[in-house]
Amino acid sequence: MPALALYNYELDDACYKVRLALSILSVEYEAIAVDAFPGKEQTKPPLLDLNPLGRLPILRDGDVVLHGAEAILAHLARAYDGSGKWLPAEAAAFASVMQWLQFAASDLSVAREAREQALFDAPGDGTALSTEAARMLRIMDDHMTARSFAGASWFAAPHATIADIALFPAFALSRDFGVDHDEYPALRNWARYVRQLPGFTTMPGIPDYH
Amino acid sequence: MEERNDWHPVALSTSIKPATSAGTRLFDEELVVWRDTGEATHIWEDRCPHRGMKLSFGFVRGDHIACLYHGWQYDAAGQCRYIPAHPDIKVPPAIKVKTYGAAEQDGMIWAALGPDLPPLPSRSATETLPVRSLYLRGGTGRALNLLRDHPPRSFTQEAGPAQIEPVSPTLFRIRAGTDALLIGVQALSGSRTALHIVIAGPAAAYQGAGQLHFLRWANALRHDAETVQVEPAATALGEAV
Ligand code: FES
Repeated sequence: MPALALYNYELDDACYKVRLALSILSVEYEAIAVDAFPGKEQTKPPLLDLNPLGRLPILRDGDVVLHGAEAILAHLARAYDGSGKWLPAEAAAFASVMQWLQFAASDLSVAREAREQALFDAPGDGTALSTEAARMLRIMDDHMTARSFAGASWFAAPHATIADIALFPAFALSRDFGVDHDEYPALRNWARYVRQLPGFTTMPGIPDYH
Repeated sequence: MEERNDWHPVALSTSIKPATSAGTRLFDEELVVWRDTGEATHIWEDRCPHRGMKLSFGFVRGDHIACLYHGWQYDAAGQCRYIPAHPDIKVPPAIKVKTYGAAEQDGMIWAALGPDLPPLPSRSATETLPVRSLYLRGGTGRALNLLRDHPPRSFTQEAGPAQIEPVSPTLFRIRAGTDALLIGVQALSGSRTALHIVIAGPAAAYQGAGQLHFLRWANALRHDAETVQVEPAATALGEAV
């Protein structure tokens, strides 16, 4: 049995961040299926003991139990990325990764809410949520437009980092909450690079070009 | 509508990489803009003849674009060439996507909805560098008023007020000192406009810092568009300047 276990729901965009990182880093793991919809299993014991916030994903790595996709990505990068690139140690790049991880976990969570509202009828004003999510995607597009002038293709470093992994699902799944890719040319281009990463994998809602 | 027959910018050239596609709108018509691996651009109705899904969701293989849903493939003329569920049938000629005029110059991709292709205006710049496509609420008249009210400052030298002049009904030139910008104006719909902004000048002078200078201006323009009340302009495209 692999040392890692991911409490996983296939349609959850935050679980997908972790699956994507595990696949890119070629780390073996066991996926434990959680009935998030309609069962809301993650909001009840025993999963509530692992994450009192009642949310997925949860990762168990030996004795370490972590929740929150961004913290899990940081753990995976430190523990399993021999190249040291996915979470760079150099001060400016490290801080830039942290800035975008925080953005992904906080500001951009409105995209997750918009999607859950649209797909699973979660509470909230769908129109207001997707308008706000579009505004966050625009902040990302503005950033990548400016980055492109310096020939940079990634959010936080000259190469891909876990920031790119944490930011990707909200854009790739935006059609789920009615936001098209038309007005985000810099993100379209960036997403194309993400798709070309060795180990890239999709989830339902993100097309696999065959 | 007569202006349908003009050439309209629909993207910056650099926004549509080889073997990629994107959706856009012109007068509220949904279009797919795609570039094949041979770098030629194509502009079609964004609608797969099979079940009407958006072709812009699809993917480019060589000089074909494949629909995401059931994999029907279309050649550069819009003709369906391959149906995966029936690999052996000869596809009837009637299965064809509606195609439009496509051209590329001045750092932008241009569409003409036809039926007749108007002559392409002559080139306005020998070399261009992209700034960005800016998406704004409101029609083209409002966007042009914004441009006139918020001209950029020069990058290379301090100079007097910027001058804005029409080059064609859908292309404007802004001069600020020795700098020149080209602004392509796209009527996405009656209530949404895209400005496609490039620097007309050499990369040696503008790459990096110059692009950033005009990006900041464009972003500030958008900020003002969204926070400051602008006179609602009833003027149509081309009449506002
Ligand atoms: S809708 Fe395009 S192939 Fe079926």
